[in-house]
Amino acid sequence: MLTNYIKIAWKVLLRHPFYTFITLFGISLTLTVLMVLTSFLDHLFGSHYPETKRDRSLYVMQMRTQDSTRTGSSSGPMSFKFLTEYAKSLKTAERVTICTFVNSSNAYVGSQKIKLNTKYTDADFWEVTEFDFLEGKPYNEQNIANSDLVVVITDDFKKQYFGNVAESVIGKDVEIESIHYRVIGVVRGSPVTRPFTYADVYYPYTTPKSNYQRTGMRGGYVAILLAKKTSDLKTVRDEFQSHIARIPLPGVEDGYKYAYVEVKSEPYVENFVGTLNGNKGLKTVFFGIIAFIMLMLIGLPAINLVNVNVSRIMERASEIGIRKAFGAPVRTLMWQFIIENIFITLIGGGIALVLTLIVIQLINSSGIIAYADLTINLNVFLVSLLVCLVFGLLSGVLPALRMSKLKIAEALKS
Amino acid sequence: MIRHLFKLIWNKKKAHSLLLVEIWASFLVLFGLTSLIVYNVRNYREPLGFEYQNAWAISLKSNEDTTELAQKIEMILQRVKAYPEVESASRMSNNFPFSQSSRNNGIDYNKKHVLADFYVTDENYAKTMVIPVVEGHWYRSADSVGKYSPVVINRKLKEELFGDEKPVGKIISERFKVTGVVNTFKSKGEFMVDKPALFELVDAKSPWDDLLMIRVKPGTDAVFEAKMVKAITTMVAGWSVEVDHLTDSRKTTHNLTLVPVIIFLIVSGFLLINVALGLFGVLNLSIAKRRGEIGLRRALGATGNGISQQFISEILVLATFALLIGLLFAMQFPLMNVFDIQAGIYLTAIAISVVVIYGIVTLCALFPSRLAARIQPAVALHEE
Repeated sequence: MLTNYIKIAWKVLLRHPFYTFITLFGISLTLTVLMVLTSFLDHLFGSHYPETKRDRSLYVMQMRTQDSTRTGSSSGPMSFKFLTEYAKSLKTAERVTICTFVNSSNAYVGSQKIKLNTKYTDADFWEVTEFDFLEGKPYNEQNIANSDLVVVITDDFKKQYFGNVAESVIGKDVEIESIHYRVIGVVRGSPVTRPFTYADVYYPYTTPKSNYQRTGMRGGYVAILLAKKTSDLKTVRDEFQSHIARIPLPGVEDGYKYAYVEVKSEPYVENFVGTLNGNKGLKTVFFGIIAFIMLMLIGLPAINLVNVNVSRIMERASEIGIRKAFGAPVRTLMWQFIIENIFITLIGGGIALVLTLIVIQLINSSGIIAYADLTINLNVFLVSLLVCLVFGLLSGVLPALRMSKLKIAEALKS
Repeated sequence: MIRHLFKLIWNKKKAHSLLLVEIWASFLVLFGLTSLIVYNVRNYREPLGFEYQNAWAISLKSNEDTTELAQKIEMILQRVKAYPEVESASRMSNNFPFSQSSRNNGIDYNKKHVLADFYVTDENYAKTMVIPVVEGHWYRSADSVGKYSPVVINRKLKEELFGDEKPVGKIISERFKVTGVVNTFKSKGEFMVDKPALFELVDAKSPWDDLLMIRVKPGTDAVFEAKMVKAITTMVAGWSVEVDHLTDSRKTTHNLTLVPVIIFLIVSGFLLINVALGLFGVLNLSIAKRRGEIGLRRALGATGNGISQQFISEILVLATFALLIGLLFAMQFPLMNVFDIQAGIYLTAIAISVVVIYGIVTLCALFPSRLAARIQPAVALHEE
C-alpha cells in the first residue's frame, strides 16, 4: 500500500513541474535554514574539538559581588589565587584547570604585524581539553615550577610567524612583547567560538605578565571543572557551592564593600545563556524574538505549501471520487495524503541536506569563523529529520482533510 | 465596484483566509527586515565625528607593577610623542573608538537626567582624533582650576540637557563645567546610534586611563610599530603593550552589525520569493477555475483589460485586508516604543513594507490576469 501511495505521489510530482518546483523550493529552503541553524548551535554548544569532554565539564566564568542593599553589583573573572583555593581543591572532580580568558597581543616578524590571542593556563589544561599535538608536547608541572619561558602555539600562528615551513619548529624562538619564548608544542587551533580554549599562543601561568600573583578575589582567570562522569556533575557542583559558601562575608575588594558573593559552576549552555544578560525582561524579549523568527521561518513556507496544495485539490477530484465510491473511508484517504506529503517533504529534505552540506562547506572555508568545524553529525541529522516530519504533517493535514471531505457526486461530476 | 469586489472576496472567505494569513505573515517578516535596515541606514548617514585612518590605540597594562604608574604613563606618552612618525598623541580611558568596552554615567542639569557615554581624555584628543569643535573650545589642562573639571559635550547631549540654551560655561552635575560642544561622536562605528556623550579632562596624576591614542603619518608601517613597542617594553619592564589600528577595529565592529543583517536579508529574501511563487501558483489555479465566469463576462461585452483589472483589484483588496491586520501588529512598535527606537524609523519601515507587499502581490497577479484576459468567450462557454 505504502509503495502505491509513494508511486502516486511521484506521478503527481511529475505532472506539473512548476508546482513541484514551488513545493520543493519552499521545503528545501526552510529545511536548509533549519539544518544550518542546528549545525551552528551544535557547533556552539556540542562537545567538539578541543572541548570533547564538555558534556561532563562545569564552567566557572564569573564572580558576582553585591553590596548589602543589593542595589549595585560587580562581576567578572577571578584571580588565580581564589580559584586555586576554592576550585582546585575540589575532591569530587577528576581534574580542574585554571586559565585566563582570551587576551590579545601583537607579534612582529620583519615588516609584518601579527595580531594574536593569548591564554595563560596551568598544566591540567591539556588534560581537561584534548588538543591534537601536531608537533612536540604540552608544558608540564615541571616547566611551570621552573617558570620556563615556553609556549604552545597553533598551526595557524606557526604559518604566520615562521612562514610556510614543513619542518618542525620545536625549540625555535618566538618573540612576543620583547620576551623570548621557546616553542614546546604545536596544536591544531580551536575555533574562536570556544572562548575557554581558543587562543593562538598558550603560556604556562608562571611566565611574565600573567598576573597570577594577584591577591584579591578578582582577576583574569576562569576555571573548568571536569567531573568523572556526567552523573557526577551535580555532586561536583554541590561541592563547589559548599566551598563558595565558606567565603568570609562581608568583605572589601578594591574599595568595593560586598555583602554577597555568587560564583556559579554551570554546564556550557547554561553558562552561555547566562552571559547574554542577567536581566530577565530582556532575556524574555530576546527569546521571544527568536521564537517568533523561527515560527515565521517554518510557518510561512508551511502556509504557502498548504495554500498551493488546497488550490490543487480539484486536480485529483476524480481519483478521490472513485476511491470514495468504492468505499474508502475518510481516514484511509487522509493517511494517503499525509504520507504523500511526508514523502515529498523527505525529497525536499534530501535536497536540503545537499544544500546544507554546501552552505556548511562555504562557511567553514570562508574563514568568517577561524577553525570553524560545522558538521552534520547524527544529532543534527536526527533533529533535521524530525523537523522534516513535523513540517510534512503541518503542511499535509489541512489539504488532506479538505480532499477527503469532498462529496462523491461532486468529485465524480468533473 | 469596490463593494462588488468585497462581496466576491467575502463569498470565498474560506479559500481566501489562507492567502490572507500568508500575506499578513510576509508583511510582518518584511516589516522586521525593513526596520532593521532603515535603522542602520539612518545611523549610517549621521557623520562619524572623527577620523579613524592612521589612528592607533596603544593599550598599556601595568600587570604586577604598582609604583608611580601615572608618572610612567606620562613618560611613555612623551616618548611616543617624540617620534617623528607620530603626528599627535593623547591619553584616554580604555573605551577608545571601536573598542568593545564602554562607560556611561548619569548627568544632571536643571532637574533633567540624561545617561551619557563618558570618555576621559586629555587636551590633545580633539587634535589626535580630528574632532571639530562647533561651539566654545576643547578643554586645556589649564582649564582645570577650582572645583569644576572642564568637559566637552556632543550635540545630542546639548539638545537633551539644554535645548536652545547656550551650554558653554554652564555647570552640570555640580562638578563639570562645559567648555565646548562637538557635533556627533559615534565611537562604536558608523552603525551606532548617535548617543549623548561627554568628554572629561583626564587627571594627570591618576594611575587609571592608561590608553594612548596616536595619529601617525600616512604610510607608517609595522616596522615602526615594532620599534615603538620594543622601546615602551624596555622602558617599563613587565608591562603589556598592545597596538590596535582603528581601521582594523572598525572592520570588526562593522561585521558585528552587518553579518546578522545580511543573514536576515538572505533568509527573508528567499522567504519572500517562496511566498511570491506560491501566490503566483494559487492565483493561476483560481483563475483557471473561474473560466466560466470570465467567459460569461466577455460574452456580455467586458474587455480583456476589464477582466485583468478585476483580478488585480481583487488581489489588491485582499492584500489590503491582510495589511490592515498586519498594521494592527506593526503599529504597536512605534506606539509602545519597543527597543527605544524612534517612531519615525518604524513608520518608514511600515511604509516601505506596505509598498513592497503591494508590489509583490501585483506582480504575482499580473501574469495570471493577462492569461484570464486572453480567454475566448466561445471556448470558455463551450466547456461549460
